Amino acid sequence: MFENLITTLTFCPLVAALACYFLRGERLRSALVIVTGIVLILSAVLLIGSAPVSMTPALFTSVKFKTFIQSADFLLLGLILYFGIKFKNRIIIGLSLLQVIILGYFEFFMTAGTHEAPVGIFCDHLSLIMVLIISIAGSLIVLYALPYMKNHEKHLKLKKSRQPRFFALLFLFIGAMNAMVLVNDMMLFYFFFEITTLCSFLLIGHDKTEESKRNSLTALWINSLGGATLLIGIVLIYTQLHTLDIQSIISQVQGKDILLIPLALLCIAGFTKAAQMPFQKWLLGAMVAPTPTSALLHSSTMVKAGVYLLIRFAPAFAGTSLSTLVAVCGAFTFLSAAALAIGQSNGKKVLAYSTISNLGLIIACVGINTHASLTAAIILLIFHAVSKALLFLCMGSIEQHIGSRDIEDMRGLFGEMPITALVITLGILTMILPPFGMLIGKWMAIESASGNLLVILMLALGSALTVVYWARWAGILMGSDFSGKSTPEKMPLFSKIPLFTLLSSAILLGFLTPIIYSSMILPDFSGLVAAPFSIHNGIIFNNQGSFAVYPLFFIAIVVFLFALFLSRPKKAAQQVSPYMSGIQGKQPGSFVGPMNKVTTYTQSNYYLSAFFGEEKLSNLVNMTAGILILILIGVSF
Amino acid sequence: MTLFLYAIIGVILAPFAGVLVVGLDRILTAKFQSRIGPPLLQPLYDICKLWGKKPMIAHRFQPLCVYIYLAAAMVSVGMFFAQSDLLLIFFVQAVGAIFFVIGALLVPSPFSQAGGNRELIQILTYEPLIILVLAGIYLYTGSFKIDAIYALDKPLLINLPLLFIVFGYALTIKLKKSPFDISASHHAHQELVRGVLTEYSGKMLALIEMAHLYETILILGLCSLFWTTSIWGMALLLVITYLLEIIIDNICARMSFRWMLKSVWTTGIVLSAINLIWLYSGARI
Repeated sequence: MFENLITTLTFCPLVAALACYFLRGERLRSALVIVTGIVLILSAVLLIGSAPVSMTPALFTSVKFKTFIQSADFLLLGLILYFGIKFKNRIIIGLSLLQVIILGYFEFFMTAGTHEAPVGIFCDHLSLIMVLIISIAGSLIVLYALPYMKNHEKHLKLKKSRQPRFFALLFLFIGAMNAMVLVNDMMLFYFFFEITTLCSFLLIGHDKTEESKRNSLTALWINSLGGATLLIGIVLIYTQLHTLDIQSIISQVQGKDILLIPLALLCIAGFTKAAQMPFQKWLLGAMVAPTPTSALLHSSTMVKAGVYLLIRFAPAFAGTSLSTLVAVCGAFTFLSAAALAIGQSNGKKVLAYSTISNLGLIIACVGINTHASLTAAIILLIFHAVSKALLFLCMGSIEQHIGSRDIEDMRGLFGEMPITALVITLGILTMILPPFGMLIGKWMAIESASGNLLVILMLALGSALTVVYWARWAGILMGSDFSGKSTPEKMPLFSKIPLFTLLSSAILLGFLTPIIYSSMILPDFSGLVAAPFSIHNGIIFNNQGSFAVYPLFFIAIVVFLFALFLSRPKKAAQQVSPYMSGIQGKQPGSFVGPMNKVTTYTQSNYYLSAFFGEEKLSNLVNMTAGILILILIGVSF
Repeated sequence: MTLFLYAIIGVILAPFAGVLVVGLDRILTAKFQSRIGPPLLQPLYDICKLWGKKPMIAHRFQPLCVYIYLAAAMVSVGMFFAQSDLLLIFFVQAVGAIFFVIGALLVPSPFSQAGGNRELIQILTYEPLIILVLAGIYLYTGSFKIDAIYALDKPLLINLPLLFIVFGYALTIKLKKSPFDISASHHAHQELVRGVLTEYSGKMLALIEMAHLYETILILGLCSLFWTTSIWGMALLLVITYLLEIIIDNICARMSFRWMLKSVWTTGIVLSAINLIWLYSGARI
């Protein structure tokens, strides 16, 4: 059963990718996407019963498979090299050549193809959570992409549809991600890590504009840097421990303060994938891609690969100075990306910075490296994936509808597209308000970070900044002229299903946090003296504090329904237009000024560019982050 | 169960206590300005008067925001009396603060928009300070729960003096007292009209006033945690702190939000860091 599920989760998307590429009918593609999505979601859910499992499928032991992966590895690097040469990018050429040389040396000289095959598949609850996120959020996003891409191409007026390529890449990516979080062999992990890099590059460049080409190359070189550090890390670990088995590596290193250099390299690989400062540039550039790409790769799923790598190896460097530095780097990214988000009025950029910032928070939790903080990290990982996927999809709909990404253009969106406006507002609120899941994670994060001065300082500041950029955005979406009645916008069914599924999961899963914790997070911690949190009547608590999840949800629901009832439109209430210190103009947004002249006015949010503008902060942030990375490497020696 | 009872009693009594505090505040302020000032119960009369006004609404979702604001303020006060987790109490009151701002941003009015944005800057300024104060309390007591503070045998103030000053900054900003009455001043004749409050009227404004009473009590409650070992000590601390607030309010002019953000963050962070380092080093008096 388990083996079949694993096979489905990894090969089914691959088959779907091939089918999407070669069968070009639109109806056929829709059917394919729906069927694959259902199969993936079902298999991921069925997998819940199986974890934790470690096993080696028969396939993995065959010589042919090994040779196949080896050649595929080289093929992949060759492809990246080809793109480097084609676009004349020296960094990419250099990095891919470096990887080819190291990989060649490793495979043909160091191990000469004889190294003992590690246990092939390791699926604990962390892998399971990742598989669930990838398969469920991934399928929903691909579904959403059906109407989106149709619209997108209509807008671009393409002669020949490039959708087959697009969907093939999305599915290839989902398969690679599923495989990556399940394998227990470092070399296989590296292989799938590189596939996600390539997918990301191809998808960012999908629209073939100058900008997208440039940004895709940035993504490729930064992620190749991550690939190179990962590979060097693997080779260094192998020279010491003579194994590629992830679990065996962790158990051999745990608590010993050894092999910090290769572990630091793995952390840096994770940082590049998770777009941590100073590697954030590629993620910001990635926003030129069609929105489903941003939703799937660059917010909810691929960037989590980096975080996954760090969480996976967290026990290996627990209690070391490397771990502390990881926490500081993460907290710094959390703070600086939040500050940069304040200065942005471009909605997609705000989402991108917020993604970077939240990943930083997760990484800070990993670095604090207690059971409580790792719990926080996983909870944040789950809820960030759900809420952020939702926000990106809303952003996509809005952009296609109003033709702008600017937050200021979304004023009074409720008048034009009430459903989307409502969904995105609720989505934003799930990011910042208790009792929703993100806040439970943040609460755990702050409580467990209080033991580290630098980290708590940065988390406190970052947390406040986060509230500002979200609240500012949520505030203006629901506004509209009082007089203007809004009729619900028409939305394709395949846009509605993902939006509403994601929104309800963001809310419902928050409610289920105590259960998620006790059934999916707690079992992964081995050798516990005391559980990081206990659960009683839906209250998560420990000696340090308590978060009453069920009571707060109950209060929130009662308050919301009651408030909704009390604030229902009443006939008696007089509708008034805004106070203008004088006579209102006949047109909305105007007043009668001096000399009886009708004067129009506009309004705008504060973006505080004098404090938080990109041009003010970017250099400083990059420099500081670069120094932190150097310190991180330094303390590992 | 007793805790739940405390919470209910707290929520019922808090607005009355709030009326007395704000009433005294207004009388004292009047005295400082050589006026006679209103009667003690004027805040209550104000609310009653506002309640009777004809409802006028500038945006259909505004009442929803106001009700949630009030509810969040009530819940956070209830949680305070139930001796819950301090960080969680703070997060819950933040719900109210955010809905208050969203309510102001809903209306396309330049005054309430500017006020809403400035209110956000005020939140931005005080929120990190409060989190740092709470982190300091955690470092000293080993817990974020209020009951751990009541279990102490020495006032928190002795070991957290600088954090108390930091808390004072946060308190002044949260209460919108001068020089931090940036998002809405007490008098509606300035460049902002009434800022974030401009578009609220009648019943909605009455509800906001009530939420404000709850917030005042919550803040004073948090302030009281710095001296829990003696009831007289607690009373003294509260009276002195609030008196200082009133004096500062009266002798300061409104400042700009840029000044606030810069000066408060610098002072607040430096003071917090010093006090936190003392606590990390294990120094205890």
